[in-house]
Amino acid sequence: MLTYTVKRVVGTVPVLLLITLLVFGLLQLAPGDPADILLPEEATHEDIAEARARWGLDKPFHEQYLNFLVSAVQGDFGESFRYKESVITLLAQRFPATLELTFFATLLAVLIGVPLGVWAGARPNSWIDNFGSVFGFFGISMPSFWMGIMLILIVSGYFNLLPSAGRETYGIAGPTITGFYTVDSLIEGNWKGFFDALSYIIMPAATLGVNMLGILMRVTRSAILDVTHEEFVTTARAKGLSGRVVLWRHIVRNALITIITVVGLELGTLLSGSIIVETVFAWPGIGNLLINGLGTRDYPLITGVVLAYTVLFVTVNFLIDISYGAIDPRIRFD
Amino acid sequence: MRVSASARMASRMAACAVLAAGVTVGATASAETRLTLGITSNLSTVNPYGDSASHLYGLWGEIYGNLCRYSFDKGGYVGHLAEKWETTDENTWIFHLKKGMKFHNGTEVTAKDVVHSFFRMSEDPESSQKQNSARKIKSVEAVDKHTVKMISHKPTSSLLSYICGLWAITSKDAYDKYGAKEADKNHPYGAGPYKLKEFVIGNRMVLEKAEGNPFLRPGSPDIVIVRKMTESEQRVTALLNGEVQIAQFIPPHLLSRIEKSKNARLVPTSSVEIMFLAMNPAMKPWDNQKVRQAVCHAINREGIVKALLKGQAQLLQGPIGPGQYAYNPDHKPIYDYNPEKAKKLLAEAGYGDGVDVDLYTPVARYVNDKQITQAMVPMLNAVGIRTKLHTPEWVTQWANVRKGKVPFFYQGRGSVIDPGPALSQYFETGVSPRIKFSSAEYDKLMQAERAAFDEKKRIATLRQAMSVLTEQAPACFMWTHTLQYGVANNVDYQPRPDGRPYMSEATMK
Repeated sequence: MLTYTVKRVVGTVPVLLLITLLVFGLLQLAPGDPADILLPEEATHEDIAEARARWGLDKPFHEQYLNFLVSAVQGDFGESFRYKESVITLLAQRFPATLELTFFATLLAVLIGVPLGVWAGARPNSWIDNFGSVFGFFGISMPSFWMGIMLILIVSGYFNLLPSAGRETYGIAGPTITGFYTVDSLIEGNWKGFFDALSYIIMPAATLGVNMLGILMRVTRSAILDVTHEEFVTTARAKGLSGRVVLWRHIVRNALITIITVVGLELGTLLSGSIIVETVFAWPGIGNLLINGLGTRDYPLITGVVLAYTVLFVTVNFLIDISYGAIDPRIRFD
Repeated sequence: MRVSASARMASRMAACAVLAAGVTVGATASAETRLTLGITSNLSTVNPYGDSASHLYGLWGEIYGNLCRYSFDKGGYVGHLAEKWETTDENTWIFHLKKGMKFHNGTEVTAKDVVHSFFRMSEDPESSQKQNSARKIKSVEAVDKHTVKMISHKPTSSLLSYICGLWAITSKDAYDKYGAKEADKNHPYGAGPYKLKEFVIGNRMVLEKAEGNPFLRPGSPDIVIVRKMTESEQRVTALLNGEVQIAQFIPPHLLSRIEKSKNARLVPTSSVEIMFLAMNPAMKPWDNQKVRQAVCHAINREGIVKALLKGQAQLLQGPIGPGQYAYNPDHKPIYDYNPEKAKKLLAEAGYGDGVDVDLYTPVARYVNDKQITQAMVPMLNAVGIRTKLHTPEWVTQWANVRKGKVPFFYQGRGSVIDPGPALSQYFETGVSPRIKFSSAEYDKLMQAERAAFDEKKRIATLRQAMSVLTEQAPACFMWTHTLQYGVANNVDYQPRPDGRPYMSEATMK
């Protein structure tokens, strides 16, 4: 297990290097210069040249990239051109918001999508299967920005049930401990803060999670149908086990590998989706930060955020791989 | 009765939603008055000299205080922390500070704080965004505790437009004691009506009333929360369900939602952002004045304002409109919509068979920018100016405009209260390469207006310069937008044409 973990961590290094090189290279190729964009309209050529020199943009590409790598290895991703704050600080402030949103979206997708898929797979061609299929396709085909705006219009605008944007009502949340407002308020015993945080996260999480929910529902249904026809299921039934026991102890458990693999893969889509959802709901996460960074060609910020997404994606998939062993004892990591 | 797991989950979710809604509503019911403002732009940095966006000038002005501000009611500059000012010669400006003005930590605002603020703007690299505000000034010195002397590099009669509403006056003591970053973050002592309580980069700013501050009005909100809300649907919804009390910049297609509301209303204001079609005379066919004039006659501006801007704009007959300094109601020449005249001008310019041009516009930078320029294309084609429309990302277009690489483009220039600096920047020879227009007659007039300290003489010179500019047409001046704010019915607020949110001017009923 240790060897496997070390191998995976070492294997991540070239991935990160490649990502930084790609981001750096693409940013250099992209039209528009940060100094042109960020300096005021009245700025002169001299102002622009001075800012470019201060930000190191007057140096050749390879020198800029090496400087970045040397600093990054020491945990310094530079200072945001726009926000005049270190990228690490900005990521630390914003990352919990994205993680919390992603967690709730995944939770919603798993808690609804998997049971619905199991139910549909266990009763093929029944009304629940048909309903689940329609629901699944709805989730898969729904563009998240459109669903987000519809939720804002209907749930917030028409029924006034939930707040339309942001992460909390000012003054209700207590001190920040973990950065996850739902968790922090629970730690503090601040129920008002907990429900306030929950009220803000429901719509963005639903918007973000609906696509994953649809896919999970469809994949779970297929996996259940596949496993149902395996010989060991027939054996379990022949032994006289009840339908429920066969379903949950034998069929679902064996279908879990497929389901968890899809959860891991879909997390990548979910993370990229969070960029749009955070913008629609003014959710103060790193996706929102990335959009602002792109609009101003804030190179250090863009590189930092993309790296954060990469690390998150690699970590989640590593954890998913590790979890295979717990689900199926036949899987070994040596 | 058995209840399935999924049904139980559904009921819990519903309960949570209802409870959460209760929390949201309950949060606003408090003894202190709170006003939340939904803005479209970024809250980028806690450094009051670190960004030159109009809304931040306003917000920092409310915290730190300004030397002076522009009053649209009075049509001129008025004192804020300064009581009055005078010029003793063409380059020397003396500002007299109000006595007894206090920073939030109780220390008095003195001339040394003004000198320090100038220093931060002009020397601190972190504050480079505002260096231009200070660049016209050679030196600033404290004559005595309440008197500041500023010496300009050259005679600049429009100097106040570089200072008023732009310079935030920060505490020298706080800077000396804590350093710039720490002072800005944790000791932001200002002399404005509000104290900075919280600044969450890119997300939210919270201001708390500075009790006893003379700039407060009866009914000024106790707490002001400024929230970044980019999506217009979101701002309107948040206004209508009470999450925000003021929503900035409502686009034409959403006006009806607020008009139908019983909780909020629309409050319009004209803008001081001038919209124009720029033509770069360094490139053909724009080197020919008659082609440029033909463009101005070819565009049906009334039709565009009516159809695409739903009437939410005022046509410009020259570079500026009513409410802007030196506006001339009798301005000439005027370009009417006259395709025949446009064709004639084009033929006179030697393009009787027509000419191919490329028009550039950013997308979603200005109200309906893409649709507006799309509407212009057939109008230009109809007179023989065969136009190909390009819609680059704003970042790309702006970078190219700044380098003078764009031949023909749709553009806005904001914060044009006193038009002198903006018109110099875009059209005076050698000031910036954006349009590369050069006219000895215009340059001479602009130099004369800067040296004219007699207001009547300056206004007359500026008007003459604007007539020459309109005649020579390096740009067709289009319109200024009407800015629509959504305001809750329990708030009295008149937004400013320059977009600066002076929230002490809002009062809660």
